[in-house]
Amino acid sequence: MSAQLLNPYGSSDWSALLPVLVVSAGGLLVLIADLLLPKGARRSAALVLSLLALAGAAILAAQQWGHPFSAFGGAFVTGGFTIAFEEIVVAGSALSLLLAHRLGREDQAASAIALLLWGTAGAMLMAGAANLLMVFLGLELLSLALYCLCGLGARGTAREAALKYLILSSTASGFMLYGMALLFGATGSVSLAALLLPSASPALLSIGSGLFLVGLAFKLSLVPFHVWTPDVYEGAPLPITAFMSVVTKAGTLAVLARFAYGALSSHESATLLAPLWVLAALSMIVGNVGALAQTDIKRLLAYSGIAQLGYVVTALAGTTALGLRYAIFYLGAYTFMNLGAFAVAALLSREHEEGSRLSAYAGLGYRRPWLAAAMTFFLLGLAGLPPTAGFTAKVLILASSVGAGYAWLAGLLIVGTAISIYVYLKIVRAMYARTTGAPVQASAAEFLPWVGVAICAVATIVLGFYPLVPSDVIPLVK
Amino acid sequence: MIAALVILPLLAALAIALAPRRAEQAAKWTGVLVAFACFAVAAASAGAPDESLPWLHRPFTAAFHVGLGSGIAYWIVLLLTLVTGCALIATRVPRMRGFVAQMLLLQGAMTGVFVARDLLLFALFWDLMLIPVFLVLIAAAVPAGPRERPESATAWRYLVYNVTGGLALLLATAAYGILRGSTDVIGDAHAAGSLPAVDAPWIFAGFALAFLIKTPVWPLHTWMPDTYGDLPSPMVALVSAVQSKAGLYGFIAIGLALFPAPMVAAAPLMLTLGVASLLYGALVALTQSDAKRAVAYSSLSHLGLILVAVFAFGRAGVSDSIAIGGAVVYIIAHGLFSAALFIVLGQVEEREETRSLDRLGGLGTRKPRLAGAFTLVALAALGLPGLAGFAGEILIVTGVYQAGYVWTAVIVLIPIVIASAYMLRLLQGMMNGPERHDLPQRPDLSFVEGLALAPLILAIVLLGVDPAPLARPPAGIDPFAVSVAAPALPDGRR
Repeated sequence: MSAQLLNPYGSSDWSALLPVLVVSAGGLLVLIADLLLPKGARRSAALVLSLLALAGAAILAAQQWGHPFSAFGGAFVTGGFTIAFEEIVVAGSALSLLLAHRLGREDQAASAIALLLWGTAGAMLMAGAANLLMVFLGLELLSLALYCLCGLGARGTAREAALKYLILSSTASGFMLYGMALLFGATGSVSLAALLLPSASPALLSIGSGLFLVGLAFKLSLVPFHVWTPDVYEGAPLPITAFMSVVTKAGTLAVLARFAYGALSSHESATLLAPLWVLAALSMIVGNVGALAQTDIKRLLAYSGIAQLGYVVTALAGTTALGLRYAIFYLGAYTFMNLGAFAVAALLSREHEEGSRLSAYAGLGYRRPWLAAAMTFFLLGLAGLPPTAGFTAKVLILASSVGAGYAWLAGLLIVGTAISIYVYLKIVRAMYARTTGAPVQASAAEFLPWVGVAICAVATIVLGFYPLVPSDVIPLVK
Repeated sequence: MIAALVILPLLAALAIALAPRRAEQAAKWTGVLVAFACFAVAAASAGAPDESLPWLHRPFTAAFHVGLGSGIAYWIVLLLTLVTGCALIATRVPRMRGFVAQMLLLQGAMTGVFVARDLLLFALFWDLMLIPVFLVLIAAAVPAGPRERPESATAWRYLVYNVTGGLALLLATAAYGILRGSTDVIGDAHAAGSLPAVDAPWIFAGFALAFLIKTPVWPLHTWMPDTYGDLPSPMVALVSAVQSKAGLYGFIAIGLALFPAPMVAAAPLMLTLGVASLLYGALVALTQSDAKRAVAYSSLSHLGLILVAVFAFGRAGVSDSIAIGGAVVYIIAHGLFSAALFIVLGQVEEREETRSLDRLGGLGTRKPRLAGAFTLVALAALGLPGLAGFAGEILIVTGVYQAGYVWTAVIVLIPIVIASAYMLRLLQGMMNGPERHDLPQRPDLSFVEGLALAPLILAIVLLGVDPAPLARPPAGIDPFAVSVAAPALPDGRR
């Protein structure tokens, strides 16, 4: 014990954290390169460095497969679960960076990209966090970066979005922190594993868990904690919206799943989590209905994201092991389909104007057939139609929720999907309907977003036919 | 080789969609070539062994399992490829390249529906096949001026109905997979009736809803007249000839084979819906002045007849019922003559720029070939002996009577009589009578246009003369020429 106190953490602790460290160091390198390099090369250098850091992190994380390890006294636990979420976070972050060729002014680019990397590191910490402090550390690292990034947009609404996000998100963090404090009061420990031990005060435990879950539901933007999402998504710059739509969700979902699967006894989880499934059901319906009336693609994707996260949480209903695997698979498929759609929007954007108005898509099928075909494909995926990963992923969720005894959630998922098909195909209609209006001049082709579109398209079709559902994703808590 | 029947048209569709913009004619003839190549491959693959690749292992087993057999699936795939080829020959639309690509996409997706031997794969293709039709409907919609709302109402109605059906089918498939542990069951004789008696009716209901909408059957048919009216003729030929058979095929291949008890339980309802479609379609067809919509309603009527045939269970189960054999013959016969009807109507519309019976008339005086083709096809549709329609109708009526549904058989005869009335009305209104001089003067059918109709007409005659290969029990009854257990009839009642 005394030796441990003198030298608490060994090299294996740090190597468990290596992917996160690489991403954080990448952020520092981006800033240093920004100081040293000539003006013209800074943005490209920042992009290249950050993509390299993320690639390195992805490889390092993959190498930890099959060697679960509990680092820093159980604060950060690696294993299949952590790795799956880390990979999704890294993929989401990298794909968002591919869209960042217009992010911020020239002199802001490097710091924005560095912040994006640190936000990624925060989400990765959340993926592996097995004690409450680490959860909060990761969450705040992610959120602080996003507060700054949201305000970067050229639109007048950007600052409003940033402020709104700051205020509402801090409120949610407050809920969560209060919940954590109560949980600590009930168990005398910040470790998630300690929640399984018999508690001195079950009431305190329940209230603490409830508040903690409210905070998580806010970050996941589940209905009724979703109202901030469309405004913030609309105001934030496009790559940041893309980033938030995947990375924040993945990090938070990791915390939620670890809490639901690892930290609650089966008796508690049945009662404590029941409201969560109701929130999922509400999200599927409200999110899709809300998306019906939107005319801005970012707002539309915000509402659709609310519904998509509803599908993912539906997969967790009943906390079956299979359901967790399908939730992760759906999240992975969603990452590619959603970011593919964002990449198309990025390609449509021009100087001082993001290609997010729905009217920018009118007649796209005749002006830019490739882009329209790609967009159609991603939208079919989000709608859960074949031949995409969205179809397979949705079938898996349907099957697992029917199998877990939540047939009513499966039924609502079908209803939500039916509404969502109208939402997504409305864009398809706009692209392929004959228009009478004058065609909008297409901007010059950009290389990086096209890479993003291509990666997302290939992943969307391949995952549909070879569903790479991760095996061995038990969320360890110690 | 069976997988190639699905993959080849899909790849060809992709290639054509990406081809240079100028290659309109090349795109068309490539499409024709692909369709007939698929026809040849399919014709040569009768009874070919199934092909299968694993797909899912959990939560249930699913496979990319395709098979053709030598029964109903085989005949429908032959019909599908033949109709696609003929319709593509007759295609003359603006933006040909995109249209040909959508036709091939539809062909590939529909082939997938009929060769899928796995329920999940079936559901995948089922949903996939509505996408090209939706896209063509959108592109075909004419902008309605500054207000952009009504232009694509048809496309939305088509989508809403069919997506509802598709999602019900998907949920039923997922539930089936969970309960039985595998969806690789189409054509598997051991899978019949293997679900718990509590769940089977609900799961069957999901499938049945999708099948009824797709067919369509009254009162779920309201998407159909507009869709048929607005789609370009070559695609409506394909949709009417083959896509509408997907639901009937589903009742035979999935309903009879996997859900025998719920099928028997649903028979009274289905017979009622079938008879209602039959009568309603025939009566409405009489009143339409738009030729295309008249044929659309006649399709509704004919499809109702097939539904009646599928559900006319005999006293000892389906296996000694002639009706199912008749259903298979009529599925193919209706496919042939409705495709030919829509192609001819497309040719009339191209020439005269209208399809209203009030404006058309006297086409026969100057265009004997066009009038001759239409007459022959219309006679097949009204059930003239010696042509394909009659062969199916006589078998169905005999089968329904033999199964003990005397009154149903009598009622079924009424719309068959009405069919003569509306078909002759179309013939008279368009082809006979004095020549109309206010119509544009256009030439008779060209050689290429005749080429589009010749294979269909030949098939109509052949099938009318000798329907035996299709109707032969058990190949006709049994979807895949493996023995499908007759539905177990509870305590001997009908």
